[in-house]
Amino acid sequence: MAFRKLARVEDVPPGRTKFLHADGKPVILANFEGRIYATFGLCPHRNNPLEGATMWDNLIDCPFHHFQYDVTTGENYFPENVYPKDYNRLQAQLRPLKTYAVELRNGEVWVDLE
Amino acid sequence: MGKVARQVVEQAGVNVDVLLDKLLRAAGAEFTTFYYYTILRVNAIGFDGEGLKEIIEDARIEDRNHFEALTPRIYELGGALPRDIRGFADIAGCPDAYLPQNPRDMKAMLNVLVEAERCAVRTYTEICNMTFGKDHRTFELALAILHEEIEHEAWFSEYLGEGPSGHFRRGAPGDSPYVKRFMTADFK
Repeated sequence: MAFRKLARVEDVPPGRTKFLHADGKPVILANFEGRIYATFGLCPHRNNPLEGATMWDNLIDCPFHHFQYDVTTGENYFPENVYPKDYNRLQAQLRPLKTYAVELRNGEVWVDLE
Repeated sequence: MGKVARQVVEQAGVNVDVLLDKLLRAAGAEFTTFYYYTILRVNAIGFDGEGLKEIIEDARIEDRNHFEALTPRIYELGGALPRDIRGFADIAGCPDAYLPQNPRDMKAMLNVLVEAERCAVRTYTEICNMTFGKDHRTFELALAILHEEIEHEAWFSEYLGEGPSGHFRRGAPGDSPYVKRFMTADFK
């Protein structure tokens, strides 16, 4: 476990995201209903940065192609929910976002980037 | 390109390169959606008689109209459509609206349609938010498209049993009541 401080809690208000780099690694923090989640900061679809991503309930929405991921699990929601299952090339686009463990310590957001 | 037309937008505080990227992705999504909705429409056989087919046709033609209306604004601001249509499809700002694995599954087809429209609603809301009070021409255009995309979402949502759309059919397929004033080629 290698937790490091990435932000203060007030830097990530409910329903918002914050994109940053930690040791050169892109990370995005997202606040869903008051709980802060951390995931890898590049969209697995085309490796575009999730900087400026918006939140729709528990879903983080990539600003480039609007692929959506559940911040609580990292799993793709859209377009997984509509892509045909028999088209293997498409299934490869639906890889999940890597999620990281988060701890709040005295108003600070600590993330385990391992 | 309109030199002053771009300059006034820049001076209002809009990053025109970012805006152009969003407009190009939006235009790409409209163009690809027009293609995919053609496939969905021809496969919407016997769903509520021809009712669903007619609604897909409205949305299909209006999405093409959105592409037509966006293109001049992209060039006015100094942008251009990609020379290679494959590149254009790749930058499309919404996932492709594929025909479901089982084309006879009406609910699966409606989910494809409603999710495509929801993506479009988010896209134009972002552009409106970015240009409101700064780039009046792009804002007006994006708002007109947003009106139609919201109506499309409501139509398909109604079919999914999520509640009434509050709308009645267009006078003619692809009438584009909000966007047609931005189109110079197809409407008189």
